[in-house]
Amino acid sequence: MAEIRIERVVKSFGVVTVLHDVSLVVADGNFVALLGPSGCGKTTLLRIIAGLETQTAGKVLIGGRDVSGLPPRARGLAMVFQNYAVFPHMTVRENVGFGLTMARADANRITRQTERAARLMHIEMLLDRYPAQLSGGQRQRVAVARALAVEPAVLLMDEPLSNLDALLRLEMRAELKSVLTEAGTTTIYVTHDQTEAMGLADRIAVMHQGRIVQEAVPTEVYRRPRSVFVGGFVGSPPMNFLRLPVQHGVVRLGSLELRPPAGADGTVMLGVRPEDLAPVENGLDFRVQVVEPLGSHLLLTGTAEGQPLRVVVPPDTVVRAGETIALRPDLAHIAWMHPESGEALEP
Amino acid sequence: MGRRHLAPYLLIAPSLLFLLLLFFVPLIQTIALAFQTGSGIGLGNFNQMVGDLDFITAIKDTFALVIVVVPLQLALALGMAMMLRKVRFGRDLVLWIWTIPLGISDLAAGLAWLSILTERGYLNTVLFHLGLIPRPESWLTYETPTALFFAIVIAELWRATAIVFVILVAGVQLVPAEYEEAASVFGATSWQRFRRVTLPLLRPSIQTALILRTVLAFEIFAVVLAIGGTNFPVLISQAFIWQNQNQVYGVAAAYAVLIMAITLAATLFYLLALRPRAGEPA
Amino acid sequence: MKPIKRALFIAGVVLLCAWTIVPIYLVALGGLGGEQVVYAWPKPFWPLSWSVHNFSAFLAIQGIWPAMLTSVEVAALCMAFSIVLGAPAGYALARYAFSGANTYRLTILLTRAFPVGILALPLAVSYVRLGLYDTPLGVALIHTALALPFAVLITSSLFLGIPRELEEAAWVFGCSGFGAFRRVVLPLALPGVAATAIFAFVISWNEVFAAAVLTVRHKTLTAFLLSVLSESPLQAQFAGGFLLIVPSVIFIFLVRRYLFAMWGIASR
Repeated sequence: MAEIRIERVVKSFGVVTVLHDVSLVVADGNFVALLGPSGCGKTTLLRIIAGLETQTAGKVLIGGRDVSGLPPRARGLAMVFQNYAVFPHMTVRENVGFGLTMARADANRITRQTERAARLMHIEMLLDRYPAQLSGGQRQRVAVARALAVEPAVLLMDEPLSNLDALLRLEMRAELKSVLTEAGTTTIYVTHDQTEAMGLADRIAVMHQGRIVQEAVPTEVYRRPRSVFVGGFVGSPPMNFLRLPVQHGVVRLGSLELRPPAGADGTVMLGVRPEDLAPVENGLDFRVQVVEPLGSHLLLTGTAEGQPLRVVVPPDTVVRAGETIALRPDLAHIAWMHPESGEALEP
Repeated sequence: MGRRHLAPYLLIAPSLLFLLLLFFVPLIQTIALAFQTGSGIGLGNFNQMVGDLDFITAIKDTFALVIVVVPLQLALALGMAMMLRKVRFGRDLVLWIWTIPLGISDLAAGLAWLSILTERGYLNTVLFHLGLIPRPESWLTYETPTALFFAIVIAELWRATAIVFVILVAGVQLVPAEYEEAASVFGATSWQRFRRVTLPLLRPSIQTALILRTVLAFEIFAVVLAIGGTNFPVLISQAFIWQNQNQVYGVAAAYAVLIMAITLAATLFYLLALRPRAGEPA
Repeated sequence: MKPIKRALFIAGVVLLCAWTIVPIYLVALGGLGGEQVVYAWPKPFWPLSWSVHNFSAFLAIQGIWPAMLTSVEVAALCMAFSIVLGAPAGYALARYAFSGANTYRLTILLTRAFPVGILALPLAVSYVRLGLYDTPLGVALIHTALALPFAVLITSSLFLGIPRELEEAAWVFGCSGFGAFRRVVLPLALPGVAATAIFAFVISWNEVFAAAVLTVRHKTLTAFLLSVLSESPLQAQFAGGFLLIVPSVIFIFLVRRYLFAMWGIASR
């Protein structure tokens, strides 16, 4: 168990800067998800922490120790790779015990740890097989078991579930969560899937274009996004953003009157999640264009105030395409953003 | 791991050094040798080469060989590559059989076809059994230059089509089936599909195959010697004779330079003639 | 496909296969089938008697056995050099993106666009000065120049096929750079490297021109056969042809997967 400190890390490839002055603290025992779209720099950051890439500037500290120049094997961490990287020419047993073998642990310890890790990941019956004989999901478990076997101070995971099919992903997520919570290992988990991040992490660091734009507990990231980007990226369907004029400190939403924060002037962006809009008698006029019955709810797509809007309503709501209904936002769950910068306005 | 920057260069250095010494240096030397006469630099060797009795014949024979063999092989290899796509059962076996000639030296190929075409050979045996000839005919003497020529063509066709074939098969795999399927949905016959969709998409592979095959064709050596002996002089066999028998290294080098120049010209020709049109991917 | 077309198609495929195999069969026949086959008229298409007499007579011809040994020696040297020089370069091309990589690759390919055998001509002169003339080492060196481009390209695609992630995993779990190479990359690359070695062997074994130019008394098999082409008895030619073909065909069978991979042919 160790605390991870990333101090002002910069990474450039020639003239292209991929990480701009990134700083992050992962407390001992915490599970932090690095969440962001592809190209945002999250994998690069993870690889810098692992020592597989060298940062252009900045420091990485693990357990208080500056590991910035050290090779991966000297950093006391374990990693689960996106494509598993399970050695095809070794048996599952040899794979899982690999880290310990490299550390020259005695045979008893290797056997004990290997079998314990295998049991945790439910692969003890596969120990003498070769990876080619395993399914993708099984190989993934081997990769995780290999990381757990060395009982690392720090565990790094690079989109480990992205190559699994949807159902398997769901199952593995739950398994991972229970195993890792028990172990209490400091974990950094890279993903582009915000459901995964929300479900697994103690804290989420949202990344965008090489910067961490918000770092907080999942509910905070969800409820109080710091920017249009975060609001739109976290949550599915994404948060709606309406560009509205401010007149005399008041924003009109159909027949509703709202008071934006003090800094709002001219126009302002109002962010509201699809599930936080409820049909009412009088309110914001919403012209329904498409009704998608998704089983647990109806997804309505349409326009309001001349801008696109999505609304989630209970499955038995009576509504048809072409109709206009009135909506009211849950005022406790709206966000105000600056129209140009996209940053949240503090109330 | 900042020291990584040196590593790749260190890794390729030995091979580069080797090629420098064993390829580029001899290359320069050949050119230098060709232009060296008894009294300094000049075209003396070239004059001697051109004035040689067999020179014109060698030029004619070499070009005749290349002009006949290369297009034939291209057509045959294209056909084989197209056929291979449609083979469902035993594709691996067929692919292996058709690429066996890759492992066969041109000398061995020459010997094999010699056994078939020689006076008491298998071809004559078949013709005899079919009642077409009363007794063994000789096809490979200087009295039958055309037959000799075609004998060499057939032997080369047998041996070296595999090289073109392999390149085309690789190229064909890069042509997604969707293009041809789309063409057939919009009404193209199989010949039209081939001409207008497959062939243009194969252009880069055809270019590569043609360059490689033509370069190799100007080098056809052992097959010619095995089947034709001295009755069918080609440029490279002349170079060989001047080197080993006459021991006049300058003229041999002149031949070498001539061959290299022709090869280079042919390569440039292919690169130009088959270059991608504007907008086409290279 | 309509039945008629399908029948024609199958016939075509079979014909082309036969066209490839029959000449080899006939050479084998001449080599193994006994003396009668060689001189018989009309020629039988089936061996009258299995006989290695042809072979022993062939091998007894003065110079054949030493020539075979020389060929093996030259090919083995070529194999070793090609791997030692080519594999590291292939690894560099596969693992590192360095400026000049494309130029290097192009240069390597370019050497194949030249008639390399011809370079034996000036080398003959240099070799005399260096004491390499008429030695297996000398021939092996130019054969290596022939085989090197293939070695580099095949090993390069070989290493590309071994995901970098495997090496990185080895680094994370305790291996040094070289340790990772030894424990992870090498075992996985070994079959392909072996295939490259065999390919280099075959290239050297089959090469005629340079070997003929650069040797006088210590000829390789190909050079020897070339020199006695007109004077040798027919059965010697058959047996010689057979000896040239068989190892190559077997070797190519063993390495075909890697050859195809190099050229980008997938087997379904």
